[in-house]
Amino acid sequence: MKVPASVQHWIIPVTTSLAWEALGDAGMIPRYLPPPSQILTALYEVTADGELLQAVAISVYRVAIGFALGTGAGMLIGLAAGLIPPVRHFFDPLVSFLYAVPKIAFLPIFLLLFGLEHESKIAIIAFSSFFPVFIASRHAALSVGSHLVWTARNMGARQATIFFRVFIPAAAPQLFSGARIGLANSFVILFAAELIGSRGGVGVLISAGEDAARFDLMFAGIVTFAVLGFAADRILMAVRRHVLRGQLIGTAEQMIG
Amino acid sequence: MMTRVLRYAERWYSIPLLLVLWQIGAATGVAESRLLPSLTRVWVVLMQDTVNNVLPYHTAITLGRAGIGFALATLAGAPFAAAMARSTLVRNLFEPIFFFGYPVPKIALFPVFTYIFGIGSPSKIAFAFLECLYPIVVTAYLGFRAIPNSLIWTAENAGANHATIIWRVIFPAAMPGIFTGLRVALPISIIVIVLTEMIGDSKGLGYYIAVSGTRFAYANVYAAILVIGLCGFVLDRALLYVRGRCIRWERSAPELTL
Repeated sequence: MKVPASVQHWIIPVTTSLAWEALGDAGMIPRYLPPPSQILTALYEVTADGELLQAVAISVYRVAIGFALGTGAGMLIGLAAGLIPPVRHFFDPLVSFLYAVPKIAFLPIFLLLFGLEHESKIAIIAFSSFFPVFIASRHAALSVGSHLVWTARNMGARQATIFFRVFIPAAAPQLFSGARIGLANSFVILFAAELIGSRGGVGVLISAGEDAARFDLMFAGIVTFAVLGFAADRILMAVRRHVLRGQLIGTAEQMIG
Repeated sequence: MMTRVLRYAERWYSIPLLLVLWQIGAATGVAESRLLPSLTRVWVVLMQDTVNNVLPYHTAITLGRAGIGFALATLAGAPFAAAMARSTLVRNLFEPIFFFGYPVPKIALFPVFTYIFGIGSPSKIAFAFLECLYPIVVTAYLGFRAIPNSLIWTAENAGANHATIIWRVIFPAAMPGIFTGLRVALPISIIVIVLTEMIGDSKGLGYYIAVSGTRFAYANVYAAILVIGLCGFVLDRALLYVRGRCIRWERSAPELTL
């Protein structure tokens, strides 16, 4: 008997959920792992009373602004660093030292600078997403083939045209790889910052559920957070596919999705 | 000689420049002294806590946890990636878990880990293991998949048995891919350990930073950041050195381009 691949893909997720549900209903796994049915009930509960929507709105607001600021700055400065040697020489040593430092370590300083409200979270999310985007953009700018620029110039294209129609599209795939890592960083930092010191947000929903020993609520928050991170990545990848349509033919794209 | 010094200065001036500006800012009181303690103050704190063994103690704990999580993820991830690359069944079963799970922020699961493994080292090591496993498996898997069949056919033709092919052909050929994953995973192991220590622990550099922050002892925060940066840099270099020893046929590691 040959099981099709699409069925095999579902074997582990489905059997795990079923076993979890069965063992949980039979009371054979600890209370802090509520079975999926209870998590779904809790999800419905917090959705119905609007608590979830409010927390999601706060978290999305923080991560969206922080990621946009960090990615924007990372791309601008990174491209500038790739094109202009003095800019590169200024930022390279700083980035290579700070890159290895967990950005969350700066949280106490950001809390003092920007307070306990949204600003400190937005700032540290921007700070942490800046670095991967900067590195990718810098590298992208440096690796754009000069023959592309020369060809455009030979055909009489203006500087602005060369920049926006030749240079940026050639650098775009790597800009997106940087943004993708920056986005992943943003969610990690968002979670940690909300858990360590915050009012509102999905992270607070999780820790509140934990404090009240309402593990179904805790898991509802965890599931929400995971879905948010996953959906954000899917959206970025969809934008990427749209922007890069035509450039991706014959690459390993399908494998990494 | 002079031009070499100049070129060196041109490349590295920004760090000393910012340090000088920092010191001026701190000395003249332009920046709040609590927020921006003078460099001499940071240095004194760094030396004090090094001599009285506070920083070395927390650093050893953080690096120990990160190292164990990273090592376990390497030992489990590389063979697992090989199995995924060579067996259709294993691939079909686990591919969705790794490729769909990749962009899911796994940090949200950390509270669950603390219930399963307790709040001390085990939950942090397990979490570092999970976070390192993903990049290691995914990049190693792509590395194993990229091995040309002709290499294996040649070895088979030359009469090599199954074990020889695995150990002398497949693993060496996938080595560059494996090391790329390791290089991505190494800073991740340190980052998640520090992060989870900040969320809740009583030792480790993350705890040191969190406690210093709540005490407004920002010189200590900067000192710890300095130590982490140094560790990350040294460990990355060490990994590159090992890579050079393991993959002699490739002259140098490609620049880390993400």
